[in-house]
Amino acid sequence: MQRRNPLLFAIPLIVFLAIALVPYIWIVLASFKKRIDLITPYPKWIFDPTVVNYVDIFDKGFDTYLLNSIIIGFSSTALTVVVGTLAAYGFSRFKVPAGNHLFFFILATRLGPPVAYALPMYLIFKAFGLVNTHVAVILAHATFNLVLVVWMMRSFFNDVPREVEEAAYLDGCGHFRVFWGIALPMTYPGLVAVSIFVLIFSWNELLFSLILTGGETRTLPVMIPSLVLHTGTLWGQVAAASIIQSIPVLVFIFFIQKNLVQGLTFGAVKG
Amino acid sequence: MIDSKLADSASTRTFLWVCMGPVLLFLIIVVVAPLTLAIVDSLRDLSLTMLTKRGQFIGLDNFRDLIGTDDKFYAAVAHTAIFMAVVVPIEFVLGLAIALWIKREFAGRRLVLTILMIPTMIAPVVVGMIWRFFLMPSFGILTVYLNRIGLFQETSVFSGSVSALAALMMIDVWEWTPFIMLIMLAGLSAMPAAPVEAATIDGASRWQILRHIQLPLLRPLIVIALMLRAIDASKIFDTIHVLTGGGPGNATEVIATYAYRTNFLKWDLGYGASICLVLAFGSLIVAALFYKIVSGKPAEAGAQ
Repeated sequence: MQRRNPLLFAIPLIVFLAIALVPYIWIVLASFKKRIDLITPYPKWIFDPTVVNYVDIFDKGFDTYLLNSIIIGFSSTALTVVVGTLAAYGFSRFKVPAGNHLFFFILATRLGPPVAYALPMYLIFKAFGLVNTHVAVILAHATFNLVLVVWMMRSFFNDVPREVEEAAYLDGCGHFRVFWGIALPMTYPGLVAVSIFVLIFSWNELLFSLILTGGETRTLPVMIPSLVLHTGTLWGQVAAASIIQSIPVLVFIFFIQKNLVQGLTFGAVKG
Repeated sequence: MIDSKLADSASTRTFLWVCMGPVLLFLIIVVVAPLTLAIVDSLRDLSLTMLTKRGQFIGLDNFRDLIGTDDKFYAAVAHTAIFMAVVVPIEFVLGLAIALWIKREFAGRRLVLTILMIPTMIAPVVVGMIWRFFLMPSFGILTVYLNRIGLFQETSVFSGSVSALAALMMIDVWEWTPFIMLIMLAGLSAMPAAPVEAATIDGASRWQILRHIQLPLLRPLIVIALMLRAIDASKIFDTIHVLTGGGPGNATEVIATYAYRTNFLKWDLGYGASICLVLAFGSLIVAALFYKIVSGKPAEAGAQ
């Protein structure tokens, strides 16, 4: 293809970047603004910065909600990855009885609207007295992330050359040794990417957290909209909480870019 | 498959249980048991707030009311359908255009991609709050600037039923266009260079190349992207919950917010359970379609 004028290439690019970034930048700026600079009919791009919003949300117990999000995120990720990776290896290496049906069933749980599973889950967790506990949300998040782990890990296991495993079998290794000692380590880079995805999805999830947590067990996505009060929204605090919530996500996308497309399509597209 | 000697042995069966046991147990606890409970409740007249509804067995009445006479449910379905029909094509065209624009290598491409992916990757709740702030009456920056250039004179976009839905659509386009872009980019990067080069030498225009070479090669990815996007758009909840809560009136009520309202604001659990089951059943059909198209194996980007 003919070389384009670099300027003609750059200008639309800058427009794309601005559209993607400016709303986010505006909330970053808002998080450092005093109330007087926020609620003004003359939007201020230059102002006297303050960290009062960050201090205020931590005074309000933001650390509790942050910790909830961290506990729920890591626990549900660990659970999903363990259960999902074992299943993925089973699907990849063995003829699982009714495997296709099971595989499809796992997919269906994720493609359906979460709200369809929200009430049934609420009912069962209520029956066991688990509503407003971490356990309920951990299980809920693990459910809707399971398909991602199963699909992606299965495709990573399929890419592992069979010869290595066969050699190990000939040496007398059992199935578990082959899985744990040979197949699994070869999928580590993929496993890390999958785990990060599961963590982000849990970290960002609203609906199940909204229904299954309350008071002291609320996660960040539930807590942030709760700063919208009848008497007026605490925009500085909303902004500060949003920034703290989203920064880990931004760091992660930079590092898992290679697997981004795979993760966002449940492994249906390979990058 | 592994060696046939091992395939039927007792140790293989044991190991298969180690692999599949946890996932089966897990699915029974979090999917099968809850859905069973929901089926039982959907046959009852159960509400936590209405004293007349005490949980009597009423057969399929809930389903009959929902399918037969519930105008609000159909309104929510219609809003969801309109929403999908508008946002998905726009996101596709924009996403493809941006992908075509940035498909070549250039300095800082990785950073550019990270920034472009921000709207898709940050929490939908945060997306909702950002735009709520942007569009606040009197001091929201977008409202102020639009007022200033005279494009928009109302006080709040979310007070008019058409403008509220339009604003939600615009926000969805902002949030999800990068998702389509990313998939298209994967396809374009993996596409063999030869056909495009040959066509260029033969004097084909860029439009002809796109239409007759690139789009046909991208077809499998386009199908996946559109399906995933349509499925996700049909489930939209977070941004609407944060921005309008379904209002004004029920102008932006979609399926998910309607089900949420019925179950967790009105606590009409029996009726709500029937909504959930109808949705779960519908999603089975969609999942079957998706599974048939993807057929369990990943589409290699750019495969024909």
